[in-house]
Amino acid sequence: MTWWAKPVRFILAAWVLTGSPARAEAPGVFAITKGTVHTVSGADLAAGTVVIRDGLIEAVGSNVTVPAEATVIDATGRHVYPGLFDAQTSLGFSATKKIDPDAAFMAAEHLELTESDLDARRSRGVTTVLTAPRSGIFNGQSAVLNLGTVQGSSRIVRSPAAFQISFNTRPSGTYPSSSMGVVALIRQTFLDAQQQSAARTVYDRAPAGQRRPQLDPALDALAPAIRRDLPVVFIADSEQAIRRARRLATDGNVRAVISGARQGYRLGTELKDTPVLVSVDWAAAPARREDREEQPLRVIRDRQLAPTTPAVLAKNGVQFALVSGSAKASEFVSGIRKAITNGLSPADALRAVTLTPARIFGVDRQLGSLDRGKIANVIITDRPIFDSGAKVSRMFIDGREIRLQEAKDAALDSPIDGTWNLSVRTAQGDVTIIVTLEAESGHVSGTFSGDKGSGDIAGGTFNKLALQFTISTQSDAEASDWVFRGTITDDSIEGTVSTTLGSFPFTGSRPR
Amino acid sequence: MSTFMRQIAVVLVFSAAIVTTAQERVVVIRDATILPVTSAPIARGTIVIRGSKIAAVGPSATVAIPAGAKVIDGTGKHVMPGIIDTHSHSAVQGAVNEGSIPNSGMVRISDDLDPEDISVYRQLAGGTTMALVLHGSANAIGGQSQILKWKWGRPIDEWMLADAPRTIKFALGENPKSANSRLPAGVERPYPLTRMGVTEVVRSAFTDARDYMARWEEYEARRKRNEDVIPPRRDLLMETMADILRGRIDVHAHCYRSDEIVMLLNLAKEQGFKIRELQHVLEGYKVAREIAAAGAGAGTFIDWWGYKAEAYDAIPYNVALMQRAGVLTSVNSDSDELARHLNQDAAKAMKYGGLSEDEALRLATINGAKQLRIDHRVGSIEVGKDADVVIWTGHPLSTMSRVETTFIEGEIYFDRTQDLAMRQERAREKAERLVKESK
Repeated sequence: MTWWAKPVRFILAAWVLTGSPARAEAPGVFAITKGTVHTVSGADLAAGTVVIRDGLIEAVGSNVTVPAEATVIDATGRHVYPGLFDAQTSLGFSATKKIDPDAAFMAAEHLELTESDLDARRSRGVTTVLTAPRSGIFNGQSAVLNLGTVQGSSRIVRSPAAFQISFNTRPSGTYPSSSMGVVALIRQTFLDAQQQSAARTVYDRAPAGQRRPQLDPALDALAPAIRRDLPVVFIADSEQAIRRARRLATDGNVRAVISGARQGYRLGTELKDTPVLVSVDWAAAPARREDREEQPLRVIRDRQLAPTTPAVLAKNGVQFALVSGSAKASEFVSGIRKAITNGLSPADALRAVTLTPARIFGVDRQLGSLDRGKIANVIITDRPIFDSGAKVSRMFIDGREIRLQEAKDAALDSPIDGTWNLSVRTAQGDVTIIVTLEAESGHVSGTFSGDKGSGDIAGGTFNKLALQFTISTQSDAEASDWVFRGTITDDSIEGTVSTTLGSFPFTGSRPR
Repeated sequence: MSTFMRQIAVVLVFSAAIVTTAQERVVVIRDATILPVTSAPIARGTIVIRGSKIAAVGPSATVAIPAGAKVIDGTGKHVMPGIIDTHSHSAVQGAVNEGSIPNSGMVRISDDLDPEDISVYRQLAGGTTMALVLHGSANAIGGQSQILKWKWGRPIDEWMLADAPRTIKFALGENPKSANSRLPAGVERPYPLTRMGVTEVVRSAFTDARDYMARWEEYEARRKRNEDVIPPRRDLLMETMADILRGRIDVHAHCYRSDEIVMLLNLAKEQGFKIRELQHVLEGYKVAREIAAAGAGAGTFIDWWGYKAEAYDAIPYNVALMQRAGVLTSVNSDSDELARHLNQDAAKAMKYGGLSEDEALRLATINGAKQLRIDHRVGSIEVGKDADVVIWTGHPLSTMSRVETTFIEGEIYFDRTQDLAMRQERAREKAERLVKESK
């Protein structure tokens, strides 16, 4: 298949989804009335009406006639928004399942969604994401998709949406194993793509007497990038990585989007000509005071200034979106809230998770605001969406109502995720160990620190409420493994630790 | 006023402003002992720095102090040019080696720099103002290196000298051959395994580069005849090799043993390129005449030896012996730590081999500048050169002396008094920030 056939296919899929009223599960007609309507594209409406029909927004306004056949939703005292668009995720690509994409890799064709993945995003108000894997250097071509209940490619809004590049090194002994090698490889690849395109042009014109250009899917796939038709998203967090990405984009004559950008606060106006996706995955301070005090000022300062990035970009007129990036789904809205407490206005924040990302990825005629004719991705919240404690009460994706379930929501983030202060009662006295855990499909990863040194935990498993993991203690004369086995009840944990010196009981709680 | 006239007026106002500010920043160091390095020491001398350049230098009686200048009293102090370290790996963010392939000439150290490397600031406190930041020695032909001024606190682009030559690292001997290297389990030993293989990698690279250049020449010729031909691939590795042959990239080669040094000099002659500087070159004294005849420089340690098999025959007289044989020699660090006191290594060359004070000072300044081909700008205190100068409490060749102030292009990048004040300020900021997080 040639490179252009795929987007056409998905455009068709999107058309079938939104344009055909004959589908078995018709989306229906809804009228959301009397709520505060945040259109994003225009002024807020104090008591507005949004009419949804057959998957699209039919009308938005203060004086809209409610169709007789509509299911009326009284949103008095509530807030109505376009669904949030999280424009940098790797939803549908497991971190544990290794894939090795290249520029021809189409995220839309390989993503594997689970109900819990979708619930985790939707319960926070997210109706649309951009996704691509994060492995490899050329991560492939990302897709914009709606998180509704429709199956398969029907949920795709745009594919390909962009190319994506990460500065990931390869393992030792494989080129490129260094960051500078990664840059060299990207630079060479852009040159090769240009050469490939030039060679095809010349060969098509004058094939006689010339060797035909070789078929190279990964290179041919890059044609829309070097023609500047599709943007190239560079995952770049630090000031140096951002500068490096911009240099590469200039040299390769591609349209750059910077993603991550947590040191964007240092660059301000310099980013004026480059769209930025700021990841709200803000660094957390170490739990223990001693650990915080040990850190150099540079690290502390950077950690505290990073969340000012969105406000700095807004002040400098830089086009930016807020994205979860490497953060977990549950941290998206709280991360946005942190940007707001660091100087970003709630209105700018809202735009940065709706219309702006839609513009950056060329889907702003389809979504990103409450406007007639757009895809009916609509959410209703009980108070302004970025207020602490705000809950999404109703949600429509592609005009279908999504059932949001609290219980399911709670199960999404495993109850063991986060930091625990563990206290082990050994024969020699109490030992304090702090662990930070994260569970994914039964496997637990994380780090430990405290009285017995620090490092990564090993052999972590989590099943129902039973947790097990091992730490390699370092403060004894010789290293030894401590195996923790425990059970979680709400916000506490208890169990036993097996060591070479015997078994000891331990208890744990969340740090206050 | 017409728009055109208004634009002219704006331009005039702006250029006047630029001239004024440049004129305003005049710094004078007066009545110090000046060690210009390329000329005799001046017992009671004065230096005038205007903007980024040295505007005047001479005995205090002969140098007028411009009105409005910031005057630093140098009585009892010594002033020397900033130290130039021709072998550094400081300010590199990630790995210094792209060691996965025998020839990584397409990679550039400049793509992965870290201007916040604290080592850079510490080197400023030791009077080092610039360095050649090299790729590592894991492969026969390493990556492209970068000449940087230690402009701590400035954006990295400002550290690079626009008119400095491009450079590349070659490496011979134990490091690029993989026979003894420790590898992760299951990884096959990569080529080359032997010294012979290292030579072959270098030779083949230039043979390939000439083929590559010929393909491009043929293409350009056919284009001139208006033929519609497909251009050859633009290969960044081959471009690098071709630029070495064209004399646009200088070669700095890591080496130890005399046999491999002679091999490389012969190979360079055979292939038609030049070795600008031999790095480490611990057995250089054995073949100093050959090195001098080839016009290669030598950058070495004064008294590091025996740390690996190929370093057993090193002697501390190496520097003096090479220098006496006519080899342009510098002392360099290959170390964040040593880079902080290269003045002391230069001094050791007086003890081992009896170099004069001036000769010793040159090892850390102008000789390195010449090896990097930037001596028109740096390496000595001369009118018209960059104002990269360092004020010392005493003679810089004494272990008792320490740096008071380090200037790069007329700006202060280290000052002991400022540093002490800054420590308190930083402690206060850190305490304040920690309070924020304890809530």
